[in-house]
Formats: sequence, C-alpha cells, structure tokens
Amino acid sequence: MDTQWPRWEVFEKERPDWPYRNAGSVHAPDAEMALENARDVFVRRPRCLSLWVVPASQIFTKTAQELVAGWEPEAVDPTRPVEPYLVFQKQTQRATETFVVHVGEVEARSSEEALAAALEKFAGRSVFVWWMCPARAITQSDEADAAAMFTPAESKPYRHPQFYKVVTQLREIKLKASE
Amino acid sequence: MNAALAAKLLALADDEYVLGHRDSEWCGHAPILEEDIAFANIAQDEIGHAALWLNLLQDLTGNDPDRLIFFRKAADWRNAQLCELPKGDWAFTMIRQYLFDAAELVRLAETVNSTYKPVAEVSTKIRPEELYHYRHSSNWVKRLGLGTEESHNRMQTELDEFWPYALQLFAPIAGEEDLIAEGIVPAPPALQTAWEGVVRPWLADSGLKVPNSAQLAAINRQHHTEHLITLLADMQEVARVEGPEVKW
Repeated sequence: MDTQWPRWEVFEKERPDWPYRNAGSVHAPDAEMALENARDVFVRRPRCLSLWVVPASQIFTKTAQELVAGWEPEAVDPTRPVEPYLVFQKQTQRATETFVVHVGEVEARSSEEALAAALEKFAGRSVFVWWMCPARAITQSDEADAAAMFTPAESKPYRHPQFYKVVTQLREIKLKASE
Repeated sequence: MNAALAAKLLALADDEYVLGHRDSEWCGHAPILEEDIAFANIAQDEIGHAALWLNLLQDLTGNDPDRLIFFRKAADWRNAQLCELPKGDWAFTMIRQYLFDAAELVRLAETVNSTYKPVAEVSTKIRPEELYHYRHSSNWVKRLGLGTEESHNRMQTELDEFWPYALQLFAPIAGEEDLIAEGIVPAPPALQTAWEGVVRPWLADSGLKVPNSAQLAAINRQHHTEHLITLLADMQEVARVEGPEVKW
C-alpha cells in the first residue's frame, strides 16, 4: 500500500512584478498543510509574497518533444463547462533559470483543450515544457496570514548557494589533480 | 525591580531554550521529510528567542549567555517542567508544542506593549514567528485529534497527562507583582484565562477533552524532573570538557 501523502506542486511569487514560478513539490495530507510545508521547505528565506499549491495529479504536462512527435487533444464532452485554466511554461534550460513560470490563462473544458488553446495564444516563444491546470485546483496563501508565513524570513540572514563558490572550487581541485 | 525582571527574563529564556533543545532532537527523525525541515526550523526559532531574552538579561546583569546555557546546573534553571520532558512520541510533541505556542501567543500579544522598551522590541520581533508556530502546531493537533482512532487516542492520552504541566507556564515568579504593576509584563492569571480561551475551543474542535485536573503541587520553576539533568548532561558535555575559555 502506498502510504505517501499526495504530492503538491508549489509556486512562489517573490516580487509584485514577477510571475508565480514553480519552486518544487511537497507531500501533504491537504491544501492547508501543503501551504505550510511549502513555506517551510522553499520560502523560509529570502522573501516571498504569496504561494500557490496545486495537487500534482491536477497538472497536465507536455514537453516540446512530445508535441513535435505529434499530439492531438482528445475529444471533450461538449456538455462540460468552460472554465479558466492556468498556463505555465518552462522557457529556458539555463542551469540557474529552469523554472516553470505562470504565463497566463485560457478558457477551456479540459486540460487538453487548454493546451491546444495555449499553443495558439502563446505561440512564437521557445517553450521546453507546458503545464496546464484548472484555476480551481489552486490554493493560494491567505494575504491575512502573510505576517506569520513570510515576515520572519525577511529578518533572517541567508546566503545564496553561489556564495560557497562550489563550482569554481571544484574546478580548481580538478585542475590541480590533473597537473 | 531589577532582580524580578532578571528572574522573569531568565524564565522566558529557559522555557524557549529547553523546549528548543527538545524539539531539535527530532531533527532527522520527524514523521516526514517536510516536517523534519519545518520542525527543525521551529527548534531553531525557539533557541533564537532564548538568545534574544538572554541578551536583555546580559544588558541588565552582565551575565554571559553562553555561560548560563553551557555551565549552569539543573537546580539553577527556571524553565517550566513541561519544556524539559523527553520528546516522547509525535502526539506528545505536538500537544506540548501547541499548548506552549498558545501561551506564547497570548503573552506576546501583551508584551509587545510592555513599558520596558527592550521587552516590547524583542516581543515585536519574535511574535510573527510564534504566530506561525501556533498555526503549524494547531493544524497538527486538529488533524491528529480528528484523524484515526489511534492518533485520537494517543492525543487524548497525552493531553490528559500533560495538561497540568502546561498550567505551570502561568505560575508566578518571585517579585513578579512589581513587574505587573509597572506594566512590564501581564499578570499570569489573566494570561491563563486568555490562553484557556484559545486552547479550549480549539481542542474541542479537534475532538479532544480537557481533563478536570487540579494544578500540580510543585508548581514553581525551582523544581525540575530528572529529565532536565540528562538533557543538560548531553547538551553541556562538549562545553564542559573543553572549558569556558575555549574560543569557538
């Protein structure tokens, strides 16, 4: 029996003018605990304005390769209601910037239909991965909780991973070893 | 008044430090990875709060915080016994943390307006962290209380046994009446009333019954269980072997 709690994808918004972007995933029994785990795992520092959590099972994803290989959306039951879907893209493969970011919304009756609509609406960009999820699957951190959720992080010292210069140090060690 | 204030600051610091140490014992052993990170963070917060109170104490008395933490005998600690009890199972850990966090919540709501400015400043700084601790532990209490039969029974058992220990958090310390009269700290009976106003409805919503137990007999902070001695032996071992002159 699988005793793991469900997995949730976490999206964080660090600045007012930045989009929500994927931080990673957490396990949690429900949305509220998922928000707390997301806060503790990903945004204890430096700062965060708001979090989204989405059940991973609610995210429909396609890579650029899968689309090139040929993909047609499955037919949708026409009686299903049209609803907003959120569109996410991974737009670069650069090591320091591989986030899946929120780029906008489309109206659709299914995730597949949403992707078909997004491919038209957001055409012309290089995209490596697409994620779609219904807007109702998202749980957003409550603005009233921001003081407890995010304020403590702002006064805590932290260092970016680059501070430790691991990459350059390893390069030097390897260079010495090869001499 | 300074002696009473020093005693109060030491009690505040010792509660935070000893509980923070117990919480840190879960590091690497919490039920899931995410909680391991969350709870280690809470442990670190509590120890950080102790450091802030100890800094105020140092300003008042000149006592070095490191010496107080690493070279003080069990009989000289002023934490409530609730904080020193072994970490037990997750049910106990969450009940203890919840009852403690709620006490912090109601006290900090008052001490942010303390007439002694350093106390108000430290309270303002640590309050957002304690708000989050309360949110986290209260969510766990509700889920375990309303969870499976086993989780509910374990929670009820721990609450029955340790509710009286939580009441120790509101035991007055010597000279505290002067601090209350000066508006430096709130009166313990009023705090206990506010605390019960928070925890009783939440525990009821979590399917848990508060026991009808009287307060513990030995309620003042001079009395400790043998668990504090073993905790300190573990925590102070390296500092004592190396001696107070060693620079880290």
